Amino acid sequence: MLPFCRYLLYLYPPAHRLVYGEEMVGVLREKQTELWDSGWVTRWAFWAREIVGLLQGALQERVLATTGFHSWMEFRLRRFSMRSEFRFPKATAWLMLIILAAVVMAIEKAKAIQASLPDTHPYVGPIQPAQFSVIATFAVVFVAGCVVAAVGWAVLFALRRSGVQRLSELRPSGDRSSGGKLSG
Amino acid sequence: MEALPLSEPVLLILLSLAERPRHGYSVLKNVEEMSEGRVRLSTGTLYGAIGRLLEGGWIERFKEDDNSRGRQAYRLTSRGRQILRQEVSRLKQLTRVASLCMAPKET
Repeated sequence: MLPFCRYLLYLYPPAHRLVYGEEMVGVLREKQTELWDSGWVTRWAFWAREIVGLLQGALQERVLATTGFHSWMEFRLRRFSMRSEFRFPKATAWLMLIILAAVVMAIEKAKAIQASLPDTHPYVGPIQPAQFSVIATFAVVFVAGCVVAAVGWAVLFALRRSGVQRLSELRPSGDRSSGGKLSG
Repeated sequence: MEALPLSEPVLLILLSLAERPRHGYSVLKNVEEMSEGRVRLSTGTLYGAIGRLLEGGWIERFKEDDNSRGRQAYRLTSRGRQILRQEVSRLKQLTRVASLCMAPKET
């Protein structure tokens, strides 16, 4: 399994692999040696955990290398924990999908009504959008949604970065490390 | 890097390095021991966290002198130690409140 894990390291960004790659292989090798006499269940559980960890780590490092933003993984893993940092709510993605489904359904319904009505006016016929298809509409709405979401995310990300920078420049006057005292 | 509260793996990694400088495998083992087997870090998770901690200046990397293999080791910086103290202080305050809240009331 070690060669396979070594292969998985290629999923990491080159910079990360260059700095930590050999160390990670060394750790895996030591762990493998330690588990040499263990049962196959223990060994397979170990490799399964390592493979998942490597895949997750590679994904996280790729996102970090691309966006410079690493907290999304924490959001995914620990979304119920209370943290003051910015988080993109998972519910938003579902909400967008529901809205998209509702729009597509409305279009279909409108088409059905249009087809059921007789063409009573001899001069102005029913509106016939050129090249209209459900898949094309779906794709256009989806792409538009993605663009809007990306712009929104970029704005929030920029706000967060500037906020964090401002906070880091603040110097608290009192020492908060001693903790508060309980009254009573 | 975000400050307090620290996630449990990060707290355990910092505690492990607070005791003495360690290399990756030693950190893994120590974290597992300290948590009594509850927290088992994978190599990917460990080096992701180490990258973040190095980036934030909480730990530093150096080459072990007394080792023929010249392995990289990690130690806590003064900034990392200060943050660890703050977190421990926060946890102490929290457990104090918890103890008071859960203490049996005298009637």
